[in-house]
Amino acid sequence: MTKILRPDAVVIGAGPAGLGAALAAREAGLEEIFLLERDFELGGILPQCIHDGFGSIVFDQVLTGPEYAQRFIDKVERSGIEVFLDTMVLELRSDRSLVAVNSRDGVLRMEPGAVVLAMGCRERTRHQVLIPGYRPAGVICAGAAQRYINIEGLMPGRRVVILGSGDIGLIMARRFTLEGAEVEGVYEIMDHPGGLTRNLVQCLHDFDIPLHLSHTVTFIHGRKRVEAVTVAKVNENRKPIPGTERLVECDTLVLSVGLIPENELSKKAGVVLHPATGGPVVDELMETSVEGIFACGNVVCVFDLVDYVTFTAEVAGRGAAEFVQGRRRWRGEVPVRPGRNVRFVVPQRLRCLDREVELYFRVQRPERSVRVRVLVDGRVVHSRKARMVRPPEMVRASIPAGALNEGVREVVVEVTPDEKEA
Amino acid sequence: MSFKARNCQLLPTRAEIVVVGAGVIGCAIARELTRYTPDVLVLDKENDVACGASKANNAEIHSGIGEDPGTLKQKLNVRGNRMYDEFVRGLGVEFKRQGLLIVITPRSAPPELLERMNEEDRRRFFTEVIPRGIVNFGKKAGITGLRILSREEVFEREPNVTREALAGVFDPNYGMVCPYKLTIALVEHAVLNGAKVFLNTEVNGFRVEGGRVRAVITNRGEVETSLVINAAGVFADEVADMAGAGGFRIHPRKGATLLFDRDVTSEYVRSSVAEFRLPGMKKTKSKGGGAMPTVEGNLQLGPTAVEVEDKYDTSISAEEIEEIFERFHYLLPDFPRDAVISAFSGIRAPTYEEDFVIEASDKVFGFVNVAGIQSPGLASAPAIVEMVMGIIKDLGWELEERKDFIPERPAPIKFSELSNEERHRLIMEDPRWGHVVCRCETVTEMEVVNAIHSIIPATDMDGVKRRTRTGMGRCQGSFCGHRVAAILARELGIPVTEVTKSGEGSPIYVGRTKDLLLQNDLRGERLVDEG
Amino acid sequence: MRRKHDFICINCPLSCTVELFEENGEVQEVRGNECAVGEKYAVTEYLDPRRRVTTTVRVRGGVLPVVPVATSAPVPKRLVREVVRALAGVELQAPVEMGQVVMPDILGTGVDVVTTRPLPAKRD
Repeated sequence: MTKILRPDAVVIGAGPAGLGAALAAREAGLEEIFLLERDFELGGILPQCIHDGFGSIVFDQVLTGPEYAQRFIDKVERSGIEVFLDTMVLELRSDRSLVAVNSRDGVLRMEPGAVVLAMGCRERTRHQVLIPGYRPAGVICAGAAQRYINIEGLMPGRRVVILGSGDIGLIMARRFTLEGAEVEGVYEIMDHPGGLTRNLVQCLHDFDIPLHLSHTVTFIHGRKRVEAVTVAKVNENRKPIPGTERLVECDTLVLSVGLIPENELSKKAGVVLHPATGGPVVDELMETSVEGIFACGNVVCVFDLVDYVTFTAEVAGRGAAEFVQGRRRWRGEVPVRPGRNVRFVVPQRLRCLDREVELYFRVQRPERSVRVRVLVDGRVVHSRKARMVRPPEMVRASIPAGALNEGVREVVVEVTPDEKEA
Repeated sequence: MSFKARNCQLLPTRAEIVVVGAGVIGCAIARELTRYTPDVLVLDKENDVACGASKANNAEIHSGIGEDPGTLKQKLNVRGNRMYDEFVRGLGVEFKRQGLLIVITPRSAPPELLERMNEEDRRRFFTEVIPRGIVNFGKKAGITGLRILSREEVFEREPNVTREALAGVFDPNYGMVCPYKLTIALVEHAVLNGAKVFLNTEVNGFRVEGGRVRAVITNRGEVETSLVINAAGVFADEVADMAGAGGFRIHPRKGATLLFDRDVTSEYVRSSVAEFRLPGMKKTKSKGGGAMPTVEGNLQLGPTAVEVEDKYDTSISAEEIEEIFERFHYLLPDFPRDAVISAFSGIRAPTYEEDFVIEASDKVFGFVNVAGIQSPGLASAPAIVEMVMGIIKDLGWELEERKDFIPERPAPIKFSELSNEERHRLIMEDPRWGHVVCRCETVTEMEVVNAIHSIIPATDMDGVKRRTRTGMGRCQGSFCGHRVAAILARELGIPVTEVTKSGEGSPIYVGRTKDLLLQNDLRGERLVDEG
Repeated sequence: MRRKHDFICINCPLSCTVELFEENGEVQEVRGNECAVGEKYAVTEYLDPRRRVTTTVRVRGGVLPVVPVATSAPVPKRLVREVVRALAGVELQAPVEMGQVVMPDILGTGVDVVTTRPLPAKRD
């Protein structure tokens, strides 16, 4: 077997998170950085997201997914970061040692100074939402369909029903339509759409594709290939209402029913995960519960914008550098708690307490005319008006530098009605 | 030999023994026959072995504790269970005896019965009368090793079981085996010893002359033979009728099972766990099913039992899913619902008598029915084989053991189970070992290639999946689907658009992108021309 | 005749439903919007809606069989499907550069269609 490699840092995954983290670690002065990617090229999910809408915050420009990725890929190629493609990490331990494998090097053993987890997320499948029926060909997740069409150049179906109105589902409705397939409709179990308004308008309305709210698929027909699905209206408990069933002929059912952070490796390393995010509990450097293991992007929680993924990646990359360079100091332990109408906040804890911290959170329910506030031991350190907050859209807030110290007990993030307006 | 060449091979014109049906029973019988003669032909209408009941059942090797006394099922189950270690030896198939914990709860007896007892009587009934009854029932059936457990011992063994548990009985004989991997191993072992297997070969009839079977008529020609073993599973009644050797009816029943993410549920239950119900309380024909760890370590719940019309009905209804959740929510109150990764349903082949039909036909000489093999058919398989061999001897076949029988079937290499040193060595020999295709189950390109070129070649996505576990993990093929399809296309020498999930009519793709647009363009032009 | 057209503003999470009234194609009134952005959005969507089109085109000899492309600027919305259709028959030869013009001035819009990533040639 090959000798043990000891780079300064190993970044696992070369999507927007991994690319950003590796570059940030490099800029912060780390010499030897390995970027491990299981696909044959860099970019993660971005190369298949050929639509535009990426980068409005990071680059102040609206780019397609491949264009957004290319800006980072070009930099990585000039940076001296060592890239391992087609490389799968098989083991990761709490002492940061890891085992990876590829066709060229065989089994690689590494003991890096720091590890950055950037594995992204995966899609929920039909079984995770337990759709009854047969198990024929033609039932696919929206992201997989996107890969087939945009990367492999292959059509997964001609007549399509889409379950779930998350952004990928909406984008695939347009993509199938443009490729000459017929999208019969998009069905959403909730009484409101899951995706951004922009996608509702430009992916569905532009092409007269109907969106059926409070509907779900109750049966998949077809023994060999999908022949039809039964759809039905659901009640307020999201249970199908008898008598509302309708048979829809189709050869494909595309599912856009949610994303799950991919943390199998994190678990192997003993990283503590958060029940609400499904990703590691992190501090303001994106350091997990295991010392020297950092995490960023969708492995931490599913972000709505790639720009935020890039921001957390830069924090994690710099954090890894601080750790390896022996500059990272913990001054305390301050929990960040979700307050009124907040489902979760990332990061969940603060330990360095010496810098401005960007917080990302999701609300529990839509609310108009609100104030987003951050309280340090009850003292408001950030307060900002928002006309509208919605669960699908991540909200940002920040703790200014100097607002934290060793004596602080807790930080609370809350969304409250904006009294001035009410 | 290439896939196409193999598929176009001519059916032999003669075979000493023909086995109809390549499920676990047919393949086990074929393997046993090859100990005596290599001239065994196995036929199946599907494109792979284990495509019927052997594909999707609970994989459990029961002890016989759930069977009615005096039935052939109980007799063969008890004996089959004892024979299992020997049965799987040399096949390279994982078999473990995890045992069964029978949990006694307040629901184990009907309320009418309990109403008549005082509290002390009830306590004794649950903690002494029922457990002793179970042990005695087992003893009578010849099941040994049963042990009564106190409430505390139940929790010690299975900490996730409901706090309502009152007592338990542990049956150490229960085991698990992967039913389709076992079937593949058995048939490959048979082939190594000379048997021939023809898939995509449907039996349409038999030539019977003078009360003796003379030939099997298939969609690919006729095979002369004087001995037919009918192991056609859910179609066994129809096959028997074709020869005039029938007289029993199979009415299909399906059973649904839920499978959970291994990472979440490994060790969630260590043994099979089932809730005891007094006889007469069972609502369904299934033995009630249970919670159990598969050989790979996934938690599995089920099965249900639903009578169906269609022998191809392997669908799952919302009611079945609800039923499983309801049942196990009681037995394992905090089981991880969200970690479901797969739900599947399999077909069962019971007769109306609900017992196995294993006998030489009294109407057609040389025709042996092995039918009605529903649960515990997998567990009974070794004893069924033994019984069939006895029947064949009784028919006058002289069975002399071959000297050249190969006792072992080499198991395919599983990359995920190797040490890092072994992995490295393999990759240096062939780089395809270093290309991980399926990330959830850590399956390499080489394993997929090996499956496609194995003795019984995988020719579609499900065939590869059954052999290598690609797409069986938590992402259910979202990540590896197109990779496996591309390897299948390359190795079979077909366009990727011809790759199927499970044989003809189940393509993964409908064409290339742009095809639909270009076709529509042509159609548009033609309309204009004609207009 | 005065007619009403509804638009959902996509510029912020409020997603205002904006009503635009016109007579003979002349915008007369816009209401329902909570800010000026909504009015401008509705007027543009009525008078000259435009979209940036993204799709793929086939590539010969590349590491992948298709490469993503986009219009270098938004084109009239009514032409979106036709732009994609016009590109269906195009086949490039690898290697493909990023930003390579696939079709100049597509459908006479004055807008070029360009690739949005590089695609190396496949090595045998």
